[in-house]
Amino acid sequence: MRRRTALVFILLTGCGKSPQSDIQYIKQARSIAAEWALVNEQASAGQITAIYASSMHRWLHDELRTASKSLSQPHSRYGLEIRVLLAEPKDTSPDRLQRHAAQLKQIESHLESA
Amino acid sequence: MNPLELTLGIMTAVGGFVDISELVFAAKAGSTFGFALIWVFAFSTVGIIVFSEMSGRVAAVAKQPVFNLMRHRLGLKLGLVVLAASIISNLITCAAEIGGVALILNYLTGAPYLPMTIAVTLGLIVSIWVLPFKWIERAYGLLGLFMIIFAVALFANHPPWHELASGFVPQVPKGLSTKELLNFGYFAVAIVSAVMFPYEVYFYSSGGIEEGWGPKDILTNRLTSILGMGLGSLLAISILANSAILFGPVNVDPEIPGSVALEAAIPFGKWGLVIALLGMLFAVAGAGVETCLANAYSIAQFFGWQWGRHKKPWEAPRFTLTWIVLFLAALVLVLTGVNVMTLVEFAVLFSILVLPLTYLPLLLLSGDREFMGQYANGSTTRALGWFYFGIVAAAAVAALPLYLLTSGGNG
Repeated sequence: MRRRTALVFILLTGCGKSPQSDIQYIKQARSIAAEWALVNEQASAGQITAIYASSMHRWLHDELRTASKSLSQPHSRYGLEIRVLLAEPKDTSPDRLQRHAAQLKQIESHLESA
Repeated sequence: MNPLELTLGIMTAVGGFVDISELVFAAKAGSTFGFALIWVFAFSTVGIIVFSEMSGRVAAVAKQPVFNLMRHRLGLKLGLVVLAASIISNLITCAAEIGGVALILNYLTGAPYLPMTIAVTLGLIVSIWVLPFKWIERAYGLLGLFMIIFAVALFANHPPWHELASGFVPQVPKGLSTKELLNFGYFAVAIVSAVMFPYEVYFYSSGGIEEGWGPKDILTNRLTSILGMGLGSLLAISILANSAILFGPVNVDPEIPGSVALEAAIPFGKWGLVIALLGMLFAVAGAGVETCLANAYSIAQFFGWQWGRHKKPWEAPRFTLTWIVLFLAALVLVLTGVNVMTLVEFAVLFSILVLPLTYLPLLLLSGDREFMGQYANGSTTRALGWFYFGIVAAAAVAALPLYLLTSGGNG
């Protein structure tokens, strides 16, 4: 979620520096990777306009950057995974993006069950 | 009752039902919980039908708008509290709609977002200034019917109909962890808020007065509320169901409003995408106009000013100035750079807090036999009204804790 929301949450719960507090950003990054894959899949099938694809890329990238900056542990395994995702070019193959999504989903599930 | 007018009124209500909050929450609810939250949409739709019908009936019989009556019923001090709360709620909602329209234009044309928010605001101001009231409502509502593409896409996406139908039965999915249960609760409260936004009642009842409704229009009011909002709700449910089919299985929880348009692009390609974006554009723009006018109606009615779009703008100068200033205030909020999704979340949160304050006076007034005579609430409407008042009051109490505990449904 967004930084302001996170700040209020952290102040109220007093648990700001644990991987658990980063779960929401990991979830967000996982969803963005999956949305990005879906957009690229539809673009390569000629199902969406180039303008829409380009606009979606930009907004998804912005959201991902915000999620990355909001992490309390940016040097963690998931922090690295999100940075790698951020560095991917816009036209990355859907398979590769789905692998990122799957990787983040695995981390998310692990942290949630911890 | 003119059948053509009635049909147009119903179609307008259908096309104008979905706004940016419903778009966002329907898609997120579907991807996160499958079909399990469909019943909350259906349940809330009955609630908004009950209160819209009430507000339209009060407007037709008393020929007075809700906020004017509210001040007399609640007294000046409490009335002012309700006014302030609804101004904040409507202003944030209006800002979310303006940001939403600019985003959709960005997906359609590639035009840069921030300059587009300014162009959108000016465009909405000009449309209100130029169009007569009936056509302000109809132009956006009828063009919003492009949203029907989401219902058509649902058929093309071949949902498991049996599972989808079972979503209409009130339920909490089994086997959820505490965290997931809290998230489910947050989504349920957010959907109630998004469907029962207070601006809808203010706009609807003021619109009835703008159009000169009288007791002869009570049947039109009832049919427009029930059919228009009922069918409109099916569009929101289609978005949720498409999301459950297309997004949930591939781990997508739509993070930006543009993802919703993929629901039509996947089965229909570029034309589906463009039609979906156009439907979203007009539906969200219409909601922007309604929120801003609802705010201006409330302020003008509370202070007893001349108001209404049936008058020339200069015949109700304070009302005119108010809606223009409110649009500009919403624009300033968007220009601070706050994310549209954040605005949507805050709009939903503030609205649920205002809902009980909006609906209680309406419930009291519409049930008052001295005031409404033979048109006062019957036993069914009274029972439904109090039941839904209890629901929105409980939702208002639960909203903030749920928002904090779930980080706005993302925890």
